[in-house]
Amino acid sequence: MSKTNNIIGLLEAGIRAEGLRQRAIANNVANIGTPGYRSLDVKFEKLLAKALQSQQGLEGDEVEAEIYQANETPLKPNGNDVSLETEVGKMIKNSLKHKAYIRLLGNKYRQLNDAMDIK
Amino acid sequence: MEIKSSFGPIDIAISGLQAQNKSIAVISSNVANARTSNAGKGEPYRRLEAKFKTDKGQIGGVSLDKITEDMSDFSPVLDPGSPDADKQGYVRMPNVDIATELINLDIATRTYQANAAVLKRYQQMMETSLELLR
Repeated sequence: MSKTNNIIGLLEAGIRAEGLRQRAIANNVANIGTPGYRSLDVKFEKLLAKALQSQQGLEGDEVEAEIYQANETPLKPNGNDVSLETEVGKMIKNSLKHKAYIRLLGNKYRQLNDAMDIK
Repeated sequence: MEIKSSFGPIDIAISGLQAQNKSIAVISSNVANARTSNAGKGEPYRRLEAKFKTDKGQIGGVSLDKITEDMSDFSPVLDPGSPDADKQGYVRMPNVDIATELINLDIATRTYQANAAVLKRYQQMMETSLELLR
Protein backbone atom coordinates (compact mmCIF):
# COMPACT_ATOMS: atom_id res chain seq x y z
CA MET A 1 0.00 0.00 0.00
CA SER A 2 1.31 3.45 -0.82
CA LYS A 3 2.22 5.95 1.87
CA THR A 4 -0.70 8.25 1.02
CA ASN A 5 -3.31 5.58 1.55
CA ASN A 6 -1.45 4.53 4.64
CA ILE A 7 -1.96 7.89 6.37
CA ILE A 8 -5.63 7.96 5.42
CA GLY A 9 -5.99 4.40 6.69
CA LEU A 10 -4.36 5.25 10.01
CA LEU A 11 -6.53 8.32 10.47
CA GLU A 12 -9.58 6.26 9.62
CA ALA A 13 -8.58 3.66 12.20
CA GLY A 14 -8.15 6.49 14.73
CA ILE A 15 -11.55 8.01 13.98
CA ARG A 16 -13.16 4.59 14.23
CA ALA A 17 -11.41 4.01 17.58
CA GLU A 18 -12.70 7.34 18.95
CA GLY A 19 -16.20 6.48 17.76
CA LEU A 20 -16.00 3.14 19.53
CA ARG A 21 -14.65 4.77 22.69
CA GLN A 22 -17.49 7.29 22.65
CA ARG A 23 -19.92 4.37 22.61
CA ALA A 24 -18.08 2.70 25.50
CA ILE A 25 -18.27 5.94 27.52
CA ALA A 26 -21.98 6.34 26.76
CA ASN A 27 -22.52 2.75 27.88
CA ASN A 28 -20.58 3.36 31.10
CA VAL A 29 -22.52 6.51 31.95
CA ALA A 30 -25.82 4.79 31.15
CA ASN A 31 -24.89 2.00 33.58
CA ILE A 32 -23.65 4.29 36.35
CA GLY A 33 -26.30 2.91 38.70
CA THR A 34 -26.34 -0.71 37.54
CA PRO A 35 -25.18 -3.03 40.35
CA GLY A 36 -22.20 -5.18 39.41
CA TYR A 37 -21.42 -3.30 36.18
CA ARG A 38 -17.71 -2.98 35.35
CA SER A 39 -16.72 -0.08 33.10
CA LEU A 40 -15.53 -0.65 29.54
CA ASP A 41 -12.65 1.03 27.78
CA VAL A 42 -11.08 0.96 24.33
CA LYS A 43 -7.51 -0.07 23.62
CA PHE A 44 -6.11 1.76 20.61
CA GLU A 45 -3.08 3.97 21.38
CA LYS A 46 -1.02 1.04 22.65
CA LEU A 47 -1.82 -1.03 19.55
CA LEU A 48 -0.99 1.96 17.34
CA ALA A 49 2.35 2.52 19.12
CA LYS A 50 3.16 -1.16 18.71
CA ALA A 51 2.28 -1.00 15.00
CA LEU A 52 4.41 2.13 14.55
CA GLN A 53 7.38 0.53 16.30
CA SER A 54 7.27 -2.71 14.33
CA GLN A 55 8.44 -0.76 11.21
CA GLN A 56 7.43 -3.50 8.81
CA GLY A 57 4.65 -2.70 6.38
CA LEU A 58 2.60 -0.57 8.70
CA GLU A 59 -0.97 -0.51 7.46
CA GLY A 60 -3.78 1.42 8.99
CA ASP A 61 -6.31 -1.31 8.42
CA GLU A 62 -4.37 -3.58 10.72
CA VAL A 63 -4.59 -1.26 13.70
CA GLU A 64 -8.04 -2.05 14.99
CA ALA A 65 -9.39 -0.70 18.28
CA GLU A 66 -10.41 -3.26 20.87
CA ILE A 67 -13.00 -2.96 23.60
CA TYR A 68 -11.98 -4.36 26.97
CA GLN A 69 -12.89 -4.42 30.64
CA ALA A 70 -10.14 -2.88 32.78
CA ASN A 71 -11.21 -4.42 36.13
CA GLU A 72 -8.70 -2.15 37.87
CA THR A 73 -10.80 0.72 39.14
CA PRO A 74 -12.00 0.52 42.75
CA LEU A 75 -15.46 -0.90 43.20
CA LYS A 76 -18.33 0.94 44.82
CA PRO A 77 -20.32 -1.04 47.44
CA ASN A 78 -22.82 -2.23 44.81
CA GLY A 79 -20.07 -3.80 42.68
CA ASN A 80 -20.17 -0.98 40.12
CA ASP A 81 -16.96 0.84 39.26
CA VAL A 82 -18.11 3.72 37.01
CA SER A 83 -16.83 7.14 38.06
CA LEU A 84 -18.60 10.04 36.39
CA GLU A 85 -15.48 12.23 36.65
CA THR A 86 -13.32 9.64 34.91
CA GLU A 87 -15.87 9.28 32.13
CA VAL A 88 -16.04 13.06 31.64
CA GLY A 89 -12.24 13.16 31.39
CA LYS A 90 -12.20 10.35 28.86
CA MET A 91 -14.92 12.09 26.86
CA ILE A 92 -12.97 15.36 26.68
CA LYS A 93 -9.79 13.58 25.56
CA ASN A 94 -11.81 11.53 23.12
CA SER A 95 -13.48 14.50 21.46
CA LEU A 96 -10.18 16.40 21.21
CA LYS A 97 -8.50 13.45 19.54
CA HIS A 98 -11.48 12.96 17.26
CA LYS A 99 -11.30 16.60 16.21
CA ALA A 100 -7.55 16.33 15.56
CA TYR A 101 -7.96 13.22 13.41
CA ILE A 102 -10.86 14.74 11.43
CA ARG A 103 -8.86 17.90 10.72
CA LEU A 104 -5.76 15.94 9.74
CA LEU A 105 -7.90 13.86 7.40
CA GLY A 106 -9.41 17.04 5.93
CA ASN A 107 -5.92 18.43 5.38
CA LYS A 108 -4.86 15.20 3.70
CA TYR A 109 -7.78 15.35 1.28
CA ARG A 110 -7.07 19.03 0.58
CA GLN A 111 -3.50 18.08 -0.19
CA LEU A 112 -4.70 15.41 -2.63
CA ASN A 113 -7.07 17.91 -4.23
CA ASP A 114 -4.20 20.40 -4.59
CA ALA A 115 -2.07 17.72 -6.19
CA MET A 116 -4.83 16.94 -8.67
CA ASP A 117 -5.50 20.67 -9.10
CA ILE A 118 -9.23 20.33 -8.76
CA LYS A 119 -10.83 23.71 -8.85
CA MET B 1 6.41 6.72 22.75
CA GLU B 2 4.55 9.10 24.98
CA ILE B 3 1.13 9.76 23.57
CA LYS B 4 -0.77 10.88 26.61
CA SER B 5 1.56 13.75 27.60
CA SER B 6 -0.61 16.60 26.32
CA PHE B 7 -3.55 15.17 28.25
CA GLY B 8 -1.75 15.38 31.59
CA PRO B 9 -3.65 18.45 32.84
CA ILE B 10 -6.94 16.72 32.05
CA ASP B 11 -6.00 13.72 34.22
CA ILE B 12 -4.82 16.01 37.02
CA ALA B 13 -8.04 18.05 36.99
CA ILE B 14 -10.08 14.84 36.98
CA SER B 15 -8.13 13.51 39.97
CA GLY B 16 -8.95 16.78 41.76
CA LEU B 17 -12.64 16.34 40.97
CA GLN B 18 -12.57 12.78 42.27
CA ALA B 19 -10.73 13.77 45.45
CA GLN B 20 -13.26 16.48 46.25
CA ASN B 21 -16.05 14.05 45.47
CA LYS B 22 -14.64 11.74 48.19
CA SER B 23 -14.25 14.69 50.52
CA ILE B 24 -17.91 15.61 50.05
CA ALA B 25 -18.91 11.97 50.68
CA VAL B 26 -17.03 12.04 54.00
CA ILE B 27 -18.66 15.36 54.97
CA SER B 28 -22.13 14.03 54.18
CA SER B 29 -21.40 10.97 56.33
CA ASN B 30 -20.44 13.29 59.19
CA VAL B 31 -23.57 15.42 58.80
CA ALA B 32 -25.84 12.39 58.45
CA ASN B 33 -24.39 10.90 61.63
CA ALA B 34 -24.20 14.14 63.61
CA ARG B 35 -26.72 12.74 66.13
CA THR B 36 -25.80 9.04 66.03
CA SER B 37 -25.18 8.30 69.70
CA ASN B 38 -24.48 4.62 69.08
CA ALA B 39 -22.40 3.70 66.04
CA GLY B 40 -22.38 0.00 66.89
CA LYS B 41 -19.11 -0.22 68.84
CA GLY B 42 -20.61 1.04 72.11
CA GLU B 43 -19.41 4.46 71.08
CA PRO B 44 -21.00 7.39 69.33
CA TYR B 45 -20.16 8.08 65.69
CA ARG B 46 -16.64 9.43 65.37
CA ARG B 47 -16.10 12.29 62.94
CA LEU B 48 -14.17 11.28 59.80
CA GLU B 49 -11.74 13.33 57.81
CA ALA B 50 -10.38 12.67 54.30
CA LYS B 51 -6.61 13.05 53.88
CA PHE B 52 -5.14 13.51 50.42
CA LYS B 53 -1.73 12.89 48.94
CA THR B 54 0.06 13.89 45.74
CA ASP B 55 0.27 11.25 43.05
CA LYS B 56 3.62 10.14 41.63
CA GLY B 57 6.38 12.73 41.43
CA GLN B 58 6.13 16.48 41.43
CA ILE B 59 3.50 17.09 38.81
CA GLY B 60 0.86 14.55 39.53
CA GLY B 61 -2.75 14.53 40.44
CA VAL B 62 -4.17 14.11 43.89
CA SER B 63 -5.56 10.95 45.40
CA LEU B 64 -7.21 9.90 48.61
CA ASP B 65 -4.50 8.86 51.08
CA LYS B 66 -6.69 7.69 53.95
CA ILE B 67 -9.83 8.49 55.87
CA THR B 68 -8.84 9.23 59.45
CA GLU B 69 -10.98 9.39 62.57
CA ASP B 70 -11.14 12.60 64.57
CA MET B 71 -10.01 11.60 68.08
CA SER B 72 -11.34 14.69 69.87
CA ASP B 73 -13.74 14.23 72.80
CA PHE B 74 -17.41 13.40 72.42
CA SER B 75 -19.83 15.99 73.72
CA PRO B 76 -22.05 14.89 76.64
CA VAL B 77 -25.74 15.76 76.39
CA LEU B 78 -28.20 15.35 79.29
CA ASP B 79 -30.87 12.85 78.21
CA PRO B 80 -31.71 10.45 81.09
CA GLY B 81 -34.42 8.68 79.10
CA SER B 82 -32.07 7.45 76.41
CA PRO B 83 -30.96 3.80 76.49
CA ASP B 84 -27.40 5.04 75.81
CA ALA B 85 -27.38 7.31 78.91
CA ASP B 86 -24.80 6.70 81.66
CA LYS B 87 -25.56 6.70 85.42
CA GLN B 88 -25.63 10.48 85.58
CA GLY B 89 -28.09 10.59 82.67
CA TYR B 90 -25.63 11.88 80.10
CA VAL B 91 -25.48 10.58 76.54
CA ARG B 92 -22.23 10.96 74.62
CA MET B 93 -22.93 12.59 71.28
CA PRO B 94 -20.64 12.50 68.17
CA ASN B 95 -17.77 14.97 67.94
CA VAL B 96 -19.32 16.43 64.79
CA ASP B 97 -19.79 20.19 64.60
CA ILE B 98 -22.32 21.04 61.90
CA ALA B 99 -20.88 24.53 61.36
CA THR B 100 -17.40 23.11 60.73
CA GLU B 101 -18.83 20.53 58.35
CA LEU B 102 -20.71 23.17 56.38
CA ILE B 103 -17.59 25.31 56.04
CA ASN B 104 -15.65 22.24 54.89
CA LEU B 105 -18.46 21.46 52.45
CA ASP B 106 -18.14 24.96 51.04
CA ILE B 107 -14.37 24.54 50.66
CA ALA B 108 -14.81 21.15 48.97
CA THR B 109 -17.45 22.53 46.60
CA ARG B 110 -15.27 25.50 45.66
CA THR B 111 -12.28 23.24 45.08
CA TYR B 112 -14.43 20.99 42.90
CA GLN B 113 -15.51 24.05 40.91
CA ALA B 114 -11.88 25.19 40.60
CA ASN B 115 -10.85 21.83 39.19
CA ALA B 116 -13.78 21.90 36.78
CA ALA B 117 -12.71 25.41 35.70
CA VAL B 118 -9.15 24.20 35.04
CA LEU B 119 -10.52 21.28 33.04
CA LYS B 120 -12.74 23.54 30.95
CA ARG B 121 -10.00 26.09 30.35
CA TYR B 122 -7.51 23.43 29.30
CA GLN B 123 -10.08 22.00 26.93
CA GLN B 124 -10.48 25.46 25.38
CA MET B 125 -6.69 25.74 25.04
CA MET B 126 -6.54 22.43 23.20
CA GLU B 127 -9.40 23.56 20.95
CA THR B 128 -7.37 26.68 20.15
CA SER B 129 -4.41 24.50 19.19
CA LEU B 130 -6.67 22.40 17.03
CA GLU B 131 -7.81 25.53 15.21
CA LEU B 132 -4.27 25.69 13.82
CA LEU B 133 -4.93 22.37 12.09
CA ARG B 134 -7.73 23.81 9.97
